[in-house]
Amino acid sequence: MNVLLIFLGKFTIFVSRLFNLGSGSTWPGHIALSANKNFIKEIINKNFHLKIILVAGTNGKTTTGKLIQTILEKNGEKIFQNTAGANLLNGIASSLILNSNLSEKINKDFAIFEIDENTLPLILKEINNPDFIIILNLFRDQLDRYGEVNSISKKWGDALKKLNEKTTLVLNADDPQVANLGLHPKGVIVRFFGINDKSLSTTKNQHAVDSTYCPNCGSKLEYSTIYYSHLGIWKCPKCGNVRPKLSLEISPIYPLSGIYNQYNTNAAVLIAKEIGITLDKIKLVLSEFEPAFGRQEILNIDGKKVQIFLSKNPTGFNESLKTISILNAKNLLIVLNDRIPDGRDVSWIWDVDFEDFSSQFKNITVSGERTFDMELRLKYAEFKKFETEENLTKAINIAISKTSKNEILYILPTYSAMLEVRKILTGKKIL
Amino acid sequence: MKNYKLTIGWLYPELMSTYGDRGNIIVLQKRCEWRGINFEIKKLDLGFKIEDLKKCDLLFMGGAQDRQQQIVAEDLKQKREILKKMIEDGTPGLYICGAYQFLGKYYKEADGTVIKGLNILDLYTENPGIKASRLIGNVAIKCHPELVSGSLDSDLRQNDNEKILVGFENHGGRTYLGENVKPFGKVIKGFGNNGIDKTEGAIYKNSFCSYFHGPILPKNPEFADLLIKLAFEKKCPPAGRQVNLPSLDDSLEHKAKENMLQKLKIKQH
Repeated sequence: MNVLLIFLGKFTIFVSRLFNLGSGSTWPGHIALSANKNFIKEIINKNFHLKIILVAGTNGKTTTGKLIQTILEKNGEKIFQNTAGANLLNGIASSLILNSNLSEKINKDFAIFEIDENTLPLILKEINNPDFIIILNLFRDQLDRYGEVNSISKKWGDALKKLNEKTTLVLNADDPQVANLGLHPKGVIVRFFGINDKSLSTTKNQHAVDSTYCPNCGSKLEYSTIYYSHLGIWKCPKCGNVRPKLSLEISPIYPLSGIYNQYNTNAAVLIAKEIGITLDKIKLVLSEFEPAFGRQEILNIDGKKVQIFLSKNPTGFNESLKTISILNAKNLLIVLNDRIPDGRDVSWIWDVDFEDFSSQFKNITVSGERTFDMELRLKYAEFKKFETEENLTKAINIAISKTSKNEILYILPTYSAMLEVRKILTGKKIL
Repeated sequence: MKNYKLTIGWLYPELMSTYGDRGNIIVLQKRCEWRGINFEIKKLDLGFKIEDLKKCDLLFMGGAQDRQQQIVAEDLKQKREILKKMIEDGTPGLYICGAYQFLGKYYKEADGTVIKGLNILDLYTENPGIKASRLIGNVAIKCHPELVSGSLDSDLRQNDNEKILVGFENHGGRTYLGENVKPFGKVIKGFGNNGIDKTEGAIYKNSFCSYFHGPILPKNPEFADLLIKLAFEKKCPPAGRQVNLPSLDDSLEHKAKENMLQKLKIKQH
């Protein structure tokens, strides 16, 4: 049965790529799971040699996955991943189809799967004890699709209780709700990453903060340091719950800008160390790191540099704005869509602290399916000068033409907008 | 309008602010500032003083996650009497989603647990169970002008086109209205209070309740102005009746609203 499904899936992928209909990152898996709902479990059970790393969290999954992949590959390991963004069960099944032969064998050492918030409990029913699970953070994101932060963390906690000591849980100590997940599972090995650098502390309270209350007793947490949103060095004054001690607090190298990428890098380096790769080697490998698509990816268009910062929720957007400001950005294109992968509800743009950046940029262009909503947001944040163009191709052209030769155009798109932007700029579909 | 001043009480900004509801505060603030009205925001967080609440001319409270709502419920219980008095006296207020549910008699959770409300407004909310889906999506309502109390000359009554309000709803609870409150509007697209009776939100005196996120005020500026006007009428009667808010350029607001109505395939005219 599975052999037939693999054959069929591979054929679908072949046809899909031949006619440039996308890379076939979800459909083959969808078909396989409809025919055999145990498809993932059965293939995984036939490949005991395969080490599995799951990457979960609201922001940073793709970048962290790529960091781990880069380190492991340069260390001689054979890796495969689900396609970035195809992070539901069908995307994972598709990657299994693509990478197994017709005798259901996968000739690789590691699988790195990025996992959607709602899918983590589901995948743990299929893969009983993955070698590593990384949980990066938990922010408000697409409340219409994922539900509220507290209900997600509860579902995760329940799912993690079933694990045993074959699994190492790698958690962000600076995110109270994520750190708290390390308290419950019995037997499982827990490692914490975080940041210990008071010079990175922010003085400003950001608005889009989700977890400043103790996940254990509900009291307001005290922070001695806040890095961004609710990430920092915290403790509960009432029940004594405290930010756990870190297994890793600094990487020998940070290939990407932004404090959020320090977290992603620390998580990846911690995993690499656990696997037994030396810090010297990690440093060497990461010095040549190329960002994942749309995540600070740089494209050269007509002799000008365009850099894409995927910004899909309030915290991500705030951090993108902060990071490009530090990079002295002059030219900005914001693209807001409201498709299912973006979230149909665009209320979240009012949780972004645009007010802090109202006189930061020289040229601002706004586009996307919800152009007018973003325009309204900027109006009320007292941005004085910006241009709007609903048609994305035109908007990109306007924004590029305003960018001088030695400057960079920074594009901040939501998820589907990022795919569209890339398609226009590179002429290729990626999903 | 240089000598005018309004104080808005923002109830539980830290805990009851999940869906971009801060946008409502920003809109009220800017629309006052642009007219030269002095606008003060009083953040009334956990353990706030009753004296501070009493100083407010206008109230706002947003929605929250279940856990946050439990924390707030405890605090709010102690302030019920004064809040009830202010609402009865006609202090204008906007209560969104979770705040709306709080003001009612009770909230029945998906597992059947009944949580007592503040019992200030004649309404109740029930979640039909974990199997029932949440009511999620873009939503549009038509306001019944005769239902809007207070300002007789408010824009909501005057212009037919502007009586349509747009927003985004996302709620598991279904709210049912009693006889002593009136619906905020009639559903044209979307679910509204319960997905059945076509009502959305509730109005009692000058208190407005709604499930509209989006947030509600940016794309419905005439409603924002109504709240500001009601606050003046309450604050300085009868002089408040004479307050004419200078008009602002709302072409962008209307374009955004028009765009949403097009998406929802609603013709305004």
